[in-house]
Amino acid sequence: MSGIVYILLGAGLVIFGGTTLAAFYWAARTGQFRNLEEGAKVIFDADEPVGTATDTFSDRNADRPLRRPAAVERTI
Amino acid sequence: MNSTTPLEKTSAADHDRRMRAAIDASTRLPVILFYSSAIFWLLVGTVFALLASFKMNEPAFLDRWAWLTFGRVRPAHLNAVAYGWASPAAIGTGIWLMARLCRTPLRHVKLLISGAVFWNIGVTLGILAILAGDSRSIEWLEFPNYASALLFVSYGLLSVWAVIMFRFRQPGHVYVSQWYILAAFLWFPWLYSTSNLLLNFEQIQGGAQGAVNWWFGHNVLGLWFTPIGLATIYYLIPKVLGRPIHSYYLSILGFWTLALFYSWNGMHHLIGGPFPAWMISASIVASVMMIVPVLTTAINFHMTTVCNFGALKWSPTLRFTVFGAMCYTLASVQGSSMAIPSLNVITHFTHYTIGHSHLGMYAFFTMVMYGAIYYIMPRVVGWEWPSARLIRWHFWLVGVGIALMIAVLSIGGVLQGLALLDPNVTFMKSLEIARPWLWMRSGSGILLTVGHVVFAVNFTLLLLKFGKRRSGPTLFGSRPAETESEMHAV
Repeated sequence: MSGIVYILLGAGLVIFGGTTLAAFYWAARTGQFRNLEEGAKVIFDADEPVGTATDTFSDRNADRPLRRPAAVERTI
Repeated sequence: MNSTTPLEKTSAADHDRRMRAAIDASTRLPVILFYSSAIFWLLVGTVFALLASFKMNEPAFLDRWAWLTFGRVRPAHLNAVAYGWASPAAIGTGIWLMARLCRTPLRHVKLLISGAVFWNIGVTLGILAILAGDSRSIEWLEFPNYASALLFVSYGLLSVWAVIMFRFRQPGHVYVSQWYILAAFLWFPWLYSTSNLLLNFEQIQGGAQGAVNWWFGHNVLGLWFTPIGLATIYYLIPKVLGRPIHSYYLSILGFWTLALFYSWNGMHHLIGGPFPAWMISASIVASVMMIVPVLTTAINFHMTTVCNFGALKWSPTLRFTVFGAMCYTLASVQGSSMAIPSLNVITHFTHYTIGHSHLGMYAFFTMVMYGAIYYIMPRVVGWEWPSARLIRWHFWLVGVGIALMIAVLSIGGVLQGLALLDPNVTFMKSLEIARPWLWMRSGSGILLTVGHVVFAVNFTLLLLKFGKRRSGPTLFGSRPAETESEMHAV
């Protein structure tokens, strides 16, 4: 096996292993592991807050339990 | 939030809705491109799967043409579904999730478009090469160099894009799905390039080939498909139900333990092979340690969905996603058990393993991707799914089909394995024992095929914006450009 392949493999190992370690260090340093319960809520916003379901079969709108107003109505 | 007036709340909601609409709309072209090609290759892969399955039952079936022989059709199936369907579906979902989680419209769309073009040329060349007899005969890496190089270029573009997107994200917490996606987009090019360098460009010799082969073969599942599948579940279940993940702490623990243990698992494919004992042992230990990340996700998915199982009735996304999430737990626990030597001695080299791979790649990953496509496409295209009935048909056909396939392959596989271990049973007899189960497997394959056609039809109708325009909740709103005309219309 030629030297260039060893160099590529070694570089890959260092870069990707290093990236993972660096990512872990970065996450710990910037407080990504703190206040986790708030972190779980970042995917919700004022328009789709916690408690609002966002998917349904299209022909079953009427009897859906967690109905949210149709978007077009609210645009007015 | 308590101090805000109702008016402020409405305007904040309005702002968030417009922002989300703009983000979704920005992902339209690349997402549609990746999803459409994925579904095309899903159909192609299904045809190869049916052919290969019937050839197992009747070896003389269509054996007059070299390009239709089992040795070519079977790898053509694997590569068409793994690199043609599953990967582009994963990339399309990853692109949309990345934009949503970074809370910023898509950047550098051209990078993604070029990625999609290179990817599809690569897969087309690869499949043609396999059919023409130019396969590398290394499982999961059958594509010859000229095809795999194109896939690598495409991947490189996607990795660069992922890093740029992450760099320009809105400040705030990095959600667990984003960890998974970013990791997958960075891990896979490394896996793919390293394995191809060692197996195809500068071939290492002897048994070491097997080690590299299965290091890749397992990691393509563990470090590429699994993270994207889990990222999707961690986003979609809470989002559809409107409930945050049960224990966010566990989800983060799950990510880092997966990163730690999964990459060691590959050597359990080689138990009993000519390899140093420490390699195999380390892999068995890591395989069993996978219980930790699997339990964290299982607890989370179950506890988030529990008390809301009724929602499975009304949400197409949730139905597919929860099915996939449950199968992830099953597939992983089964995988850990299969690494235990006393069980492995029965199941190794039998159809049981094929059942296991379909549990992972189909019942888990593909079902989650269906769920994601059902959620993402209406938001990206701005059009509701034309037929809820077709979605139901799709779900039941593929749900029953895959359950049946896994059941018969597992039973047939164990019977075959026990026969192989019995010195009084001839090898031919062990094949005949499995044969009725293989016929049933072909039957389940027909169910899946019909399901895929139903899905493709509904997808095409959606792209053509077939049917009446609905303002139902799945359509999350309208694109900013359309908002004004709609206001006039109303």
